Amino acid sequence: MEDPVLNRVLLQPACRVGADYDAWIWGVGGSGLEAALKDPGAVIGLVKEADLRGLGGSGFPTWIKWRAVAQHGGEKYLICNGNEDEPGTFKDRVLMEDCPHQLIEGATITALACGINRVVFYINPHLSAAIDTLRRALRQWQASDWPEQIAREAGLEIDYRVHSSSGHYIGGEETAAIESVEGKFPFPRAKPPYPSDHGVHGRPTLINNVETLSHVPHLLRNGVDWFRNQGLGEATGTKIYSLSGDILKPGVYELPMGTPLSDLVYRYGEGMLVGKKLKAIFTGGPSNTILTPADIDVPMDFESVAARRSALGTGAMIAVSQGTGIVKKVAEYVSFFAVSSCGQCPSCKTGTYYMAQLLNRIGTGQGTGADLDALYNLCKILPGSGRCQLVNGAVKVLESSLYHFRDEYEQSVRKLAV
Amino acid sequence: MIKNAPYHEAVRDYEPLAERPLPPAAGLREDLLHRYHPDYRPDCFTKLTVGPNAGDPCHRRLAGILQSDSRIDEADLAASPEEEADVLVIGGGGAGCSAALEASRAGARVILATKLRLGDSNTVMAEGGIQASIDKDDTPQMHYEDTVKGAHGQLDRGLAAQMVMDGPDVIRWLIQQGMQFDLDEYGDLLTRRAGGTSAPRVLYFRDYTGLEMMRVLREAVFNGDVEVRDYCPAVELLSDQSGHCAGAVLSSLKNYKYSLVKARSVIIATGGIGRLHLNGFPTSNHFGAVGDGLVLAYRLGARLRDLDTFQYHPSGLAYPPHLAGTLITEGLRSAGAYLLNAAGERFIDELKERDQIAAAIIRECAEGRGIDAGHGQCGVWLDTPSVERRRPGVIERRFPKLLHLGTKCGIDPREQPMLIYPTLHYQNGGVVINKRGASSVPGLYCVGEVCGGVHGRNRLMGNALLEIISFGRRAGAAAAKRAHGFARTPKKIAMEHLSAFRRELMLAKMPLDRTSPLLFPEYAKFDNDSDYDGLRRNARVDG
Repeated sequence: MEDPVLNRVLLQPACRVGADYDAWIWGVGGSGLEAALKDPGAVIGLVKEADLRGLGGSGFPTWIKWRAVAQHGGEKYLICNGNEDEPGTFKDRVLMEDCPHQLIEGATITALACGINRVVFYINPHLSAAIDTLRRALRQWQASDWPEQIAREAGLEIDYRVHSSSGHYIGGEETAAIESVEGKFPFPRAKPPYPSDHGVHGRPTLINNVETLSHVPHLLRNGVDWFRNQGLGEATGTKIYSLSGDILKPGVYELPMGTPLSDLVYRYGEGMLVGKKLKAIFTGGPSNTILTPADIDVPMDFESVAARRSALGTGAMIAVSQGTGIVKKVAEYVSFFAVSSCGQCPSCKTGTYYMAQLLNRIGTGQGTGADLDALYNLCKILPGSGRCQLVNGAVKVLESSLYHFRDEYEQSVRKLAV
Repeated sequence: MIKNAPYHEAVRDYEPLAERPLPPAAGLREDLLHRYHPDYRPDCFTKLTVGPNAGDPCHRRLAGILQSDSRIDEADLAASPEEEADVLVIGGGGAGCSAALEASRAGARVILATKLRLGDSNTVMAEGGIQASIDKDDTPQMHYEDTVKGAHGQLDRGLAAQMVMDGPDVIRWLIQQGMQFDLDEYGDLLTRRAGGTSAPRVLYFRDYTGLEMMRVLREAVFNGDVEVRDYCPAVELLSDQSGHCAGAVLSSLKNYKYSLVKARSVIIATGGIGRLHLNGFPTSNHFGAVGDGLVLAYRLGARLRDLDTFQYHPSGLAYPPHLAGTLITEGLRSAGAYLLNAAGERFIDELKERDQIAAAIIRECAEGRGIDAGHGQCGVWLDTPSVERRRPGVIERRFPKLLHLGTKCGIDPREQPMLIYPTLHYQNGGVVINKRGASSVPGLYCVGEVCGGVHGRNRLMGNALLEIISFGRRAGAAAAKRAHGFARTPKKIAMEHLSAFRRELMLAKMPLDRTSPLLFPEYAKFDNDSDYDGLRRNARVDG
């Protein structure tokens, strides 16, 4: 029996055609772009009405960025951010490998709406299949009638490029992506100036996540009301959730924004492995925080999840069962942040490293009460001390675990005293 | 109902003779195996449903432990100490020791973890000797051909070829380590013939070659830089983000605590599964041989092979019952001991391959020509007095361990024959390896009885000792080389492979209440017998 809400928009079969332009156009392709071409100026208004959010983790209203870039004239850049590298996130990879034309059309509409003439697909080199698929799809796109039609009707000649990123986690940060596109090491820049004013080579630059851009053709094709109705409650549109961990059926699930977490874990993921109980859910990525079994009813949209001391982020849900040790798991995540730190800001470079050290000490039974106190102190002083969000991310996951599982930390510490 | 002759009547009727004629062979070799060898009993086998070998035939008992959940969970490792090594060797028998020595000599930091003590293994049980083509009339080619023929052709020819080529060098290496062999009056190495071979090729030291080998390896390990962890069985392997092997979780039997060893290469040398007593057979294996290594490797995704073939050694002691299964060396048959049924007749050429002789013994007993030892145990005579008659004094000189065993049984093997019945001796199959001992999972090496492919479906006497040293040394060197090649430590080391395996188990609707590795046989009782808390509690987990 086909599920009425699963994989209905971005991951619908008509979109998952790979690098096959004819199949894309025969299915759902082209009509969104046609609608945009009729009135490019109205697109930003539609996006605002539809309340499309940045789905790469921030949840920032997309139209604000678009408007900021659209105000400027001259040469402008759009970076499609496909540098996916967070623990537990694997949705962009599916979107790029299975639906490259959806992304290209979304990027084209965005470029049209904001008057952007340079589009860069910025992709993690580890996703080599995605890079390959997108390159092939781009060649098909450029051989089609669209570029000519856009030039004729909107007076815009768009230059497309696939840029393989450095593969560093930090390269997914907006300003780091700009540095990387300029050909340098992805060091995040200080903000302001914001990319919308001063981006690649000093030109205004719009950066959107792959999933955000993939929504645009459907929004244009089906209209604002349709888009708003896709979500549950106040939320709009759909969201791709990456479900992993001790789950019987992990994978990517596109569901209405605001679907309860319990549906994702128990209905689609079919519950926990070997009958163990759910212990916690890490919401992967830079906003990695913990949801407990008490939060299993939470609707998965940006506001509702934030109300539970967590964040939706990229939609990654890493479910861990009672058989998991929280301290080691958190140590693993914080170590990930520590090795991913670019080392520009001293507080981040040493702070993440020190936190990882302390966690490893506690996790291997070598820790003392003083180490635990030190962790609490670091959680207070580190946030906001870096140029980008990396150090905040490391603190978030630690703070959240200390809040929910303090007893487990204390047990690990106490073991030494016995 | 078929009735065998009672033991005491048979002893009374036995008369020692120096020579007995061999009756003409009856029936085909394949027919004998199909009708009587336990490997050919279809009801004992099933198909694996999960893991890399899904669909392959496997013994039911072994399939049960391969398709079980882990003993531990990540939560059990909270606050467990961690340490790092270049190479972790699991198993303290001959294969493990030679691998550890070679890795350590190549400059790697080596930890050797063993379930019991260093040397508690089947290596010390090996009595017959070690094969190597060192005689002037012998060649590695002949050794290879015998090995292939013995294996019924179903072996990895590359591995066998490499092993036989290594033979002479292995002997040289062992002598350098200080191992002794029996010598003739000029100081040359003595050889004798193994069953199923075309030339005398087995080198030996008395009838405890394996024990002598283990003695020198053990000393070399203790005198070297290898860190030995005894009473520390591995209960799970660790994997990195790519699914490569990255270490193991050890469980201390002394204090029941877990510890993690993160290693660039892991060498599994845990031996076989005799103590599972497949098909109800007694076994010659040591106490810890319950297939731990197979379970660990399989769960991590290593391919196995030939899981439906085991070697039943023809001469396991059948009387007295409390020593049932104890091995009597094939060397006796090499030296000319006959096999006799209750009527005092020979029934097979004693120097045929082991599987055929075992099948022939089972046939004699099944058809009422055997000797009934009581307790449902039967057997045939191993005619030791005939050897003594032909070459007086040879048993005392060459087979002191047999005399010792005789004393324990209250039998003088020079005067009275020993009652024997096939005993579960060796696991022919195991983890698929390449010539460097590497399994299909990067970072995981396997050597010794835990591997398959070298001996096909039937092993020749003396090839096991050769294999453990030949592949042990190669795997040790390869593991050390891999460890040196690492630029940096893996991003993440955890037990992610367990989730994947559990997922498969659930999707295949397998029972989830079984755990493995077993660590000890089911009948192990430590409650009253051990001071070690870990031993008692581990036994309890097994239920």
